Amino acid sequence: MTEQRTPGMSAAPPTAPAHPDSGSQAVEMDPVEYTLRKRLPRKLPKRRNDVYVNMKTDFRAQLARCQKLLEGGGHREICVHGLGLAINRAINIALQLQASSQGALQLAANTSTVELVDDLEPEDPDEAGEPMTRTRNNSAIHIKVFYPDP
Amino acid sequence: KMQATRHTNNISEPLMQQSTTLSPPVLASPPSPKLGLRNFKRISRTEDSSVYPIPGRAPDTLHMRVREGSKIRNLLRFASARMQEEGRDSSGRALRQVVFTGSGRGVTKTITCVEILKRKVAGLHQVSKLYYKTVNEVWEGPQQGAPGMTMQRTIPAICILLSKDPLDPQEPGYQSPQILNRSASISSDETKNSSFITQYCGCKNMKIVCSFDMPQHVIIL
Repeated sequence: MTEQRTPGMSAAPPTAPAHPDSGSQAVEMDPVEYTLRKRLPRKLPKRRNDVYVNMKTDFRAQLARCQKLLEGGGHREICVHGLGLAINRAINIALQLQASSQGALQLAANTSTVELVDDLEPEDPDEAGEPMTRTRNNSAIHIKVFYPDP
Repeated sequence: KMQATRHTNNISEPLMQQSTTLSPPVLASPPSPKLGLRNFKRISRTEDSSVYPIPGRAPDTLHMRVREGSKIRNLLRFASARMQEEGRDSSGRALRQVVFTGSGRGVTKTITCVEILKRKVAGLHQVSKLYYKTVNEVWEGPQQGAPGMTMQRTIPAICILLSKDPLDPQEPGYQSPQILNRSASISSDETKNSSFITQYCGCKNMKIVCSFDMPQHVIIL
């Protein structure tokens, strides 16, 4: 069974297929004997103008939060980050912000790879199964939404 | 001021939904979408397949269209073979650039392809662009002879240019070639260069380096 321990920025849905480049250390695993637990993605640095988009919070709320930062918060630029499935949502938010600013805002997108760690816990403690960890990669996007300098 | 804000909110609302395929269509005719569409049949779907104009892109670049169902191994087998062969192009020149485009649910796959290719082929400069792509769909009603309905929907899309030749670092969305050894610390040169924000991922010896090109704010964490 797949489950996430705590809510967070994590975006990959429980049913998501294994990431294509999950590395060389593929572990032969009997799905009956192990529970796969996805750890949270690493805590990333957070400035006031960083927004980490997730798939749990309502889309409008996240968009409104960005708009508030740019309009009311007095920030000239914000960074919208999305990981895995949330990449789409991050892009959508950035494009929405740009569209509603009537072209005043510009976007600068960067991509990266984030290493994620999964824990494999033996279902039955009596058996000889050792707890294992597995790392895999997931793609992420970082979009700078900013007012260009005049 | 408040009213203005609320106003823009209202404007953006129809476009606001997330999912690409479910994104609310801009209807050309007024029928209620939920009630009617079940009986409607989509008879054609045309999308604008032109590449987003990225400055610095050569006209004869290899263009990879990543779709939702594309297999990453197929895309990469082709692209990396073309990028790694030196001077064996049909025109006698080595392939210097490749463009990946993807839209909707293919965006994630597009980024993954690019990230893997960057690791396979070292020293690639990158420019990423985000845009809305317009898709025109024609739907036909249940009764024969009823006029078709044209729908225009916008889906988020990404276009990534990878180049062996240097690209303009001032271009929004530019990323310089990755440092291969990710556990190596950022050299002092690059720190001085100040176009890097290092983001410690905390994970063992993992570090994400993203260059946001913000010369005035250097944040080394």
